[in-house]
Amino acid sequence: MNELVKQQWLIPFLPLVAAAVQSLLPRKARKLSAGICLTAMGASCVLALRAFVGTLGHHEAERAVWNFVWFDYGTTRLQLGFILDPMTAAMALMVTFVGFWIFVNATGYMSDDENFTRFFCFLSLFAAAMLGLVVANNLLMLFMCWELVGLCSYLLIGFWYFKPSAATAMKKAFITTRIGDVGFFLGILMLSWQAGTLNLYDGGNGALEQAGKLAGLHGWFGWSMATTIAVLLFIGAMGKSAQFPLHVWLPDAMEGPTPVSALIHAATMVAAGVFMVGRMFALFTAGGSAEHPTFAMDMVLWVGCFTALFSATIAVGQFDIKRALAYSTCSQLGFMMMALGAGGLVPGQFHLLTHAFFKALLFLGSGCVIIGTHHEQDMRKMGGLRKYMPITFWCYLIGMLALAGVPPFAGFFSKDEVLLVTFQRSKVAWGLATFAAFLTAFYMTRQMFMVFAGKWRGGHHEPHEVRWNMWLPIAVLSVFAIGLGFFGGKYEHYLGVHEEELHGKSLVMGLSVAVGAAGILLGWLMYGRKTMAHAEEPDPLEVKLGALFTCLNRKWYVDEFYDATIIRATMLLGEFWRVFDNRVIDGILHGIAWTAWGVSQVVRWVGDEFVINGGFDAGCEGVRLTGREFAKLQTGRIQGYLRILCLGAVILLVIWYLK
Amino acid sequence: MSGAYAQIFRALSSEISLAVVAMGVLTLDLVVGRKRDLGARRQLVGAVTLIGLALAAVPLVWQVGLTNVPLMGETLAVNPLTVIFKFVLIVLTALTVLISVDHDIGTHVGEYFAMLLFGAIGMLLLVGSEELLTIFVALELTSISLFVLTAFHKNSLRSQEAALKYFLFGAISSAFLLFGLSYIYGLTGATHLRDIGTALAGKGTNPLLAVGLLCVLVGLGFKVAMVPFHLWAPDAYEGAPTPVTAFIATGSKVASFFVLVKVLMIGFAGAAGSAYWGAFSSGWAMVLGITAAASMLLGNCAAIVQTNVKRLLAYSSIAHAGYILIGLVAATSTGATAVLFYVIVYALTNLGAFGVVAALSARAGGGDLEHFNGMAKRAPFLSLLMLVFILSLAGVPPLGGFFGKFYLFAAAVERDAQNFGLLWLVVLGILMSAVSLYYYLILLKHFYVMPAKDETRIATPGHVNMALAICAVGVIILGVFPEPIVALLKTLVIGL
Repeated sequence: MNELVKQQWLIPFLPLVAAAVQSLLPRKARKLSAGICLTAMGASCVLALRAFVGTLGHHEAERAVWNFVWFDYGTTRLQLGFILDPMTAAMALMVTFVGFWIFVNATGYMSDDENFTRFFCFLSLFAAAMLGLVVANNLLMLFMCWELVGLCSYLLIGFWYFKPSAATAMKKAFITTRIGDVGFFLGILMLSWQAGTLNLYDGGNGALEQAGKLAGLHGWFGWSMATTIAVLLFIGAMGKSAQFPLHVWLPDAMEGPTPVSALIHAATMVAAGVFMVGRMFALFTAGGSAEHPTFAMDMVLWVGCFTALFSATIAVGQFDIKRALAYSTCSQLGFMMMALGAGGLVPGQFHLLTHAFFKALLFLGSGCVIIGTHHEQDMRKMGGLRKYMPITFWCYLIGMLALAGVPPFAGFFSKDEVLLVTFQRSKVAWGLATFAAFLTAFYMTRQMFMVFAGKWRGGHHEPHEVRWNMWLPIAVLSVFAIGLGFFGGKYEHYLGVHEEELHGKSLVMGLSVAVGAAGILLGWLMYGRKTMAHAEEPDPLEVKLGALFTCLNRKWYVDEFYDATIIRATMLLGEFWRVFDNRVIDGILHGIAWTAWGVSQVVRWVGDEFVINGGFDAGCEGVRLTGREFAKLQTGRIQGYLRILCLGAVILLVIWYLK
Repeated sequence: MSGAYAQIFRALSSEISLAVVAMGVLTLDLVVGRKRDLGARRQLVGAVTLIGLALAAVPLVWQVGLTNVPLMGETLAVNPLTVIFKFVLIVLTALTVLISVDHDIGTHVGEYFAMLLFGAIGMLLLVGSEELLTIFVALELTSISLFVLTAFHKNSLRSQEAALKYFLFGAISSAFLLFGLSYIYGLTGATHLRDIGTALAGKGTNPLLAVGLLCVLVGLGFKVAMVPFHLWAPDAYEGAPTPVTAFIATGSKVASFFVLVKVLMIGFAGAAGSAYWGAFSSGWAMVLGITAAASMLLGNCAAIVQTNVKRLLAYSSIAHAGYILIGLVAATSTGATAVLFYVIVYALTNLGAFGVVAALSARAGGGDLEHFNGMAKRAPFLSLLMLVFILSLAGVPPLGGFFGKFYLFAAAVERDAQNFGLLWLVVLGILMSAVSLYYYLILLKHFYVMPAKDETRIATPGHVNMALAICAVGVIILGVFPEPIVALLKTLVIGL
């Protein structure tokens, strides 16, 4: 393991090299570009697998780190480092493996796009940044990669930048996550200040290893220092993992190409917030206990719980296939956060892994649907696809069952553990989450029936099955969506966390299965018994719920609320500053600029016009006329030069003596 | 006796092999070159020159293990620092050769490459010598080769003009230098830097020393192009064939700054004085503080109004001499480390920038800013490299130029940190860096934003692209991961 950790840097490095090479490729080199991208990702996947195997033999929570000095100045020493522990290895393996298959799918999804090479260049860069984030043993490096994945997300959401909605969505995503990043950055600064290092583990001196000490110091609002820092870090995680109230960017991010939604906005980047909270778990828990959790833990629990329920309700009212999935992602990220907040590191991280597989599967499946139906995203204009796209249908069905939490699919096991650990901490949170699970099963059933059942409502173009490079990835991911759940117990053991026996196991599991079944049943009752006949037909739920459904469909008007408050206030403030800028600042700046311009003109006049142009350029003109004049001017100019040289020396000598 | 010769051979093996190759290159061009066309001649002679440079780098490998071997009565020294800088200089010369092969240098191909090699020999000697007369001879060898090289565009009046100016300016500066050296010898009775250091230790300032030292600073100030001894630079840079400009701006600067550091830190450590704000005291640090400020001000302001790219880069290099001098003004080992690190970064960056100009200006019809309009479309690869070089010059992270400046400024802040004595220089440096962004970005605007009149692609030869890409990679690596080389330089500087 100590040897393996020294090679961790290769895992992000290979995609980085691929991105660099791809950036130089001409537009026509499509196959080469995709080939480089896939080769690098495949090789990283092999490396990640090797690292994973290397961690398997160890039963205790063992980690190896490798820190090195980036640069050193005086007493300031900036270090970077890599880490290899079970959580890292599992995450890296997931990212490379899922990423690889998403890349394969993207070769099909993007096959008609003229900027194919640019797309794969961004994807490679994203993979490099994401893997860098995973293997970093240093908060500074983690933060750099964190910002880089944000940048890639921005670039890829706006990949079709000529669409106004995409251009707006990319800005929204960037700015919203940036709000969270301010908190994150403050947290990093405070940690650096308090712990004196940003290395997470460093043989006892790392920031996380000092969590106990930090818990003893006073921070803000009567919290301990550890809690203060943890809260600030969590604000960053809220932005990245789209937790309420910073969740608004994620659904809009679906403007990007679907493989991007699958990779960045379902499986990996949005999970980075959850991963980071897991990574910094020692800070979150420091100073608290199971009976008296820290404020940071409570915050994680309740923000997660609320997001899980809130987003699930919105998902119920969506018609766009990808937006429904996006809200479902928000909701599932809420589940993960909730588990972490309840103290369940293992369930949170395990749900992250299983979710990555089945949510990537669902997104890729929706991509297949979109391609198969000639770029249709409105579920009302679909229907009957089971007949036209059988492979996609079966894979999607597996993904849907996994997400709905039907045993024995992967989602059942991980969600069950999440609910179980929440049950220990708070019955209220558990109740809300169970209701969210019911909604999950319901909206997925609704989606299945709307898309795949009934008859085709989309007009003349008949849908068709997609090519192999698009369905093969979802078929592979389906296998994991079925089988991964059985490794839950093993995963706990693998992470080396020994959690005490939890009570209420059968109750939680029974209820979880029951609400899943109830959701599916209700979905069938409303959407399955009688499928939609026309695209214009109102949604059965709309008929039942009326205004409430509109409310859900408009996402509880959060965007409108932000528009009316924060955005308007910002605009007004911006207007004020614009006027201030024009009147006051510009006046000052212009003054400075004119002074600088004047100085440069004087310098030019003295240095260039007088000495050089006066001598040299005019001299050159003269040269063309007569050689004699050339000689004359030449002598004069050189004298001028040398005069200044001697004058300079004398002035310096005078200064020397004066002092 | 034979032992002494063996010693000389050991210390000078690189220089000796370069001299042999230079002669060989002359003969080769004379015997087989004349029958071929110019392009083929340049390639043939250039290739032999490159092989010669590679051979000259080999002895450096033997010298790696040696620490501070004084040779010939301490006239020449071999230590890890000289090995590093000789290697850097050989690399810079090789890169210059690579960009020269593609450049029209007239019919005297053999002479051109031989002069390059002679110049390189002078620079290697400068790095190795620790005695004033040897330094003077090496300086002259470098300068005279560069004068000749500057005049190599035989049909261009500008080139002749520039060479003559450069020569006359250089001659006067040499006179100053020699005059100063004679005073110093008279004062201390020594010409070896370490002996001078011992002789001056503990003595107060002396009027004779002031004159001598100032004259030495004039001589070396000419080489590094600091204000007010910079006047030759814009003309010589503009008039010389561009690869030669690159060589003057990089190889010569690296060697000159190295020798400046060595002379001042070893020979005149006691006569530093100070340039603390409000507490000036006479000495070379004070003089350099003033010239640094003047160089930054004049270089940056004058660069703004330039329309010729080479002239613009010339003023920018005057400004950079100002930044580098800040490190010397600090007069600490940290400062010296920063100076040495910066000159390496600076040399790679400027060689690359001048190399791009050399490769493109001949094909774009001229060297004015307008000629580079829309280059990003016409020559995307070289434009990308130019972006890297210019951003590094402007000091944008994570490129080498940023960390170079960071170390320089930090060294100055660290010195007399309680009273912020040198903060004024740092503040000025940062302000002037902001000014420099203006003209650097204008340059890039011509490359990337302004539309070209003629959109035909410009194809550049592979070896030029390779040479420039090496520079760019070097600049990026030194920026992303400066620590190993800085740490190495630091330990070596302390042992100097």
